Amino acid sequence: MNKIAAKAGSGATQAGRPARLSLADWMPKIVMAPTAVAAIVCIYGYMIWTAVLSFTNSRMLPTYKFVGFDQYERLFMNDRWMVALSNLGVFGGLFILICLFLGVMLAIFLDQKIRAEGAIRTIYLYPMAISFIVTGTAWKWLLNPTNGIEKMMIEFGFEDFRFNWLSDPDMVVYCLVIAAVWQASGFVMALFLAGLRGVDGEMIKAAQLDGASTFTTYRRIILPSLKPVFFSALVILSHIAIKSFDLVAALTNGGPGYSSDLPANFMYAHAFTRSQIGLGAASAMVMLGCVLAILIPYLYSELRGERHE
Amino acid sequence: MASLVIENVKKRYGETEILKGINISIEPGEFLILVGPSGCGKSTLMNSIAGLEDVSEGRILIGDKDVTFSSPKDRDIAMVFQSYALYPNMTVAANISFGLEMRKVPKEEREAEVQRVADMLQIGHLLKRKPAQLSGGQRQRVAMGRALARRPKMYLFDEPLSNLDAKLRVEMRTEIKKLHQKLGTTIVYVTHDQIEAMTLADRIAVMKDGEVQQLGTPQEIYDNPTNLFVAGFMGSPAMNFVPAKVVEQNGAYALELQATKPTVLPFPDQESLKSYLGKEVLLGLRPEMITEPQPHKEGANFVVKADIDVEVTEPMGADTMVLTRISGAEVNCRSNPAYPAKAGETIPMMFDTSKAVAFDPANGQRIDG
Amino acid sequence: MSNVAKRQTSGLDKVLRVALYVCLLGMATVYLAPFIVMLLTSLKDVEEIRSGTLLSLPSSLDFSAWSKAWNGACTGSQCEGMAPYFFNSFKIVIPAVAISTLLGALNGYVISHWKFKGSDLFFAALLVGCFIPFQVILLPMARTLGWLGIANTTTGLVMVHVVYGVAFTTLFFRNFYQSIPVELVKAARLDGAGFFTIFYRIILPVSTPIIVVTVIWQFTQIWNDFLFGVAFSGFDTQPVTVALNNLVNTSFGGKEYNVDMAAAIIAALPTLLVYVLAGKYFVRGLTAGAVKG
Repeated sequence: MNKIAAKAGSGATQAGRPARLSLADWMPKIVMAPTAVAAIVCIYGYMIWTAVLSFTNSRMLPTYKFVGFDQYERLFMNDRWMVALSNLGVFGGLFILICLFLGVMLAIFLDQKIRAEGAIRTIYLYPMAISFIVTGTAWKWLLNPTNGIEKMMIEFGFEDFRFNWLSDPDMVVYCLVIAAVWQASGFVMALFLAGLRGVDGEMIKAAQLDGASTFTTYRRIILPSLKPVFFSALVILSHIAIKSFDLVAALTNGGPGYSSDLPANFMYAHAFTRSQIGLGAASAMVMLGCVLAILIPYLYSELRGERHE
Repeated sequence: MASLVIENVKKRYGETEILKGINISIEPGEFLILVGPSGCGKSTLMNSIAGLEDVSEGRILIGDKDVTFSSPKDRDIAMVFQSYALYPNMTVAANISFGLEMRKVPKEEREAEVQRVADMLQIGHLLKRKPAQLSGGQRQRVAMGRALARRPKMYLFDEPLSNLDAKLRVEMRTEIKKLHQKLGTTIVYVTHDQIEAMTLADRIAVMKDGEVQQLGTPQEIYDNPTNLFVAGFMGSPAMNFVPAKVVEQNGAYALELQATKPTVLPFPDQESLKSYLGKEVLLGLRPEMITEPQPHKEGANFVVKADIDVEVTEPMGADTMVLTRISGAEVNCRSNPAYPAKAGETIPMMFDTSKAVAFDPANGQRIDG
Repeated sequence: MSNVAKRQTSGLDKVLRVALYVCLLGMATVYLAPFIVMLLTSLKDVEEIRSGTLLSLPSSLDFSAWSKAWNGACTGSQCEGMAPYFFNSFKIVIPAVAISTLLGALNGYVISHWKFKGSDLFFAALLVGCFIPFQVILLPMARTLGWLGIANTTTGLVMVHVVYGVAFTTLFFRNFYQSIPVELVKAARLDGAGFFTIFYRIILPVSTPIIVVTVIWQFTQIWNDFLFGVAFSGFDTQPVTVALNNLVNTSFGGKEYNVDMAAAIIAALPTLLVYVLAGKYFVRGLTAGAVKG
């Protein structure tokens, strides 16, 4: 649009000549239009819509009686929401830390000119190809308090082995961590392995000529140069954690009671099954806030980096 | 074949002005070279001629037709790119005939044209290959073939030789010159290589900071540069710039400088120095005008012998460059390799100022009467 | 370098090397174990499951759990097994992948080679869209699908997946097309080719790798989706993930873990197959998608 305006402007100084305007010039814009409309409506429009709903007392159907911040107040008075939030803290924190640790470790191990590296990598990464629902179903059976790992260990001779986290309200959140780490740590490994392969070989040679051991080379030279990979892995993992919904649905369904709920499950339950649209919308907005808090600094640094190139 | 007129063309991106009012006009069949350092706007001007970028102001006429607002395909121009830009998925033959196909030329004619071009450039044996299977020089030929096939009104070359190695570059340069002589087409050619510019051009436009500094034949630009930038840019090694004082000697204006001893050099363009008497100017003297003493030139007008202190010598085979310092400025001299110049010694050299120019140190413009 | 390294190889290094392999293979076992357990369990009968442990081998290969999972198990009130939902997923995945890939390719082409004022801003806006938690759009989308009359249909799910998938596909294609030199498009324009001709004749023929990456990525994402499936599908239009979850959580009589496991493997099979056959492209998509999260 501005381009045309600019042309019209320059047209004033060179009167009487037509601007170049044909269907061909419009083609790029026409092609982008459907996506642009969809993005504006279905991302930004809906975001605003949900924000509006979160300020109403909508229950089963959306109504537009505004109640200010009442829903947010209710939300943070709600015990189930507070459990979901603290679960998110525990789950997210452990999930991210363990995934990063395992991912970095496995990537470094695999980077030592390992035979059959391809096969091992394939095994580490395959959980990423399957649905969280399948993962949840599988681990629900593995962690089954009577027939799962516990029974196996007893058969192996550990008579007193007890493993009933899935039915223990205090421990059930760690079951989520175990399943999620199993699914996503291979992915972190792949990210770091790609990063390691991208490190300048001459830099490593220089470090070795300087007399650095393999361990020192990794700690002082290689890993610090992978800071961007750490950063994006951190963002991706926290994103997965905040959005986690399917894993809980399949593995624990929030139980026992609501002791393993995450915010995403709280939102779904209130908006779709418990007829609390206003409350559900408010919880969705809090989730959005969490994501933005992580995302904005990340995008900012990414875009700035791109401009420097 | 068509003439090209560029009238007061300006190009702005937001606040920054990339082209600041370019005026160039060339005759049909002329070989114009746009030369300048990177960022001088030569590529932007090239893209504007092609229609790949819109201009903010001004007009562009190709063969008397105003094409300022025409789309690239309606301008009937072909372009050879620095990266060659060959279509990677098509064979060489398909690359060459693509433009004809887009213009709905029948298949038989296209094939005949591909054959003609392939013969002309000696790439007949490559026609079935894909670009990835070609060497750099072969790609370059195919890129030229693609341009030739359409027989457009005008050719644009965007640094076409800069991705080739030195030897191939010289070969292709000659080839392009032959091609131009044979076809007599209008060519606009962008380069940052001043040797290419000198050897190929009918006329050269030296550009800097979005402005044409000088437009003229290679010899004009070499002998009579309008300012310090043009003088320093064209020629290798570059023209020497020596601070000198304008004095009066034997009723004529001359330039005094400090070689080993104070030396006074005569100056051809007397008129221009008149208002500078007693002031400092920059003497511009090409390296080949400072040589070992040559007996046959001795006593000629504008030839003076003087001692210099040799700092470094650089044998180049055909010549030996002798570096010295005159009036505090580093000066290149071009001497015969047989002349025994040694670093640290003082030797006589012959200064020929018949083609010398002088610049005003305040604004860098050439002083002329 | 390598000579020096060889000379220094000592007994300690050999021990470390063995430990490294033990560690790597041990981890591989841990990653493989759940799938092996699933497979073993699916081949046992209920009695064997109760008497044996996770890793005990089935006495005989019994595929009855598989056939029940496929066409007899109850998913909620219906007892038709996974089969109808398995096909539902294909009905959703195929058009959604095709449309979102095509749109992504065109968008990426415009963003990288036909820039106009605002196209970069548009791209940035779209990127932000990749990151939002979908909970924020669930409620309005449910209303919209209702108005359009495509609530609880596969058409509706296709639309939702296209809308929220196109950001990723655009990103993939944009990054790939960014590496195609602009001169190529310039040359084609001077040759007289237009917007679509350039796309079809010049750009698309070199796009095969990125098309494969995008199709695999989208296929995996949409096949594995649960949130949209559970929120926007009806009883008979559920995708396979939703059906699996219902099957596992339906408890008529005793829990049949063998059927659960068989059903889970069935639900995972298509994406696993893609992973095994085209792992290279899958990983490339993951790491490329990593930028966006």
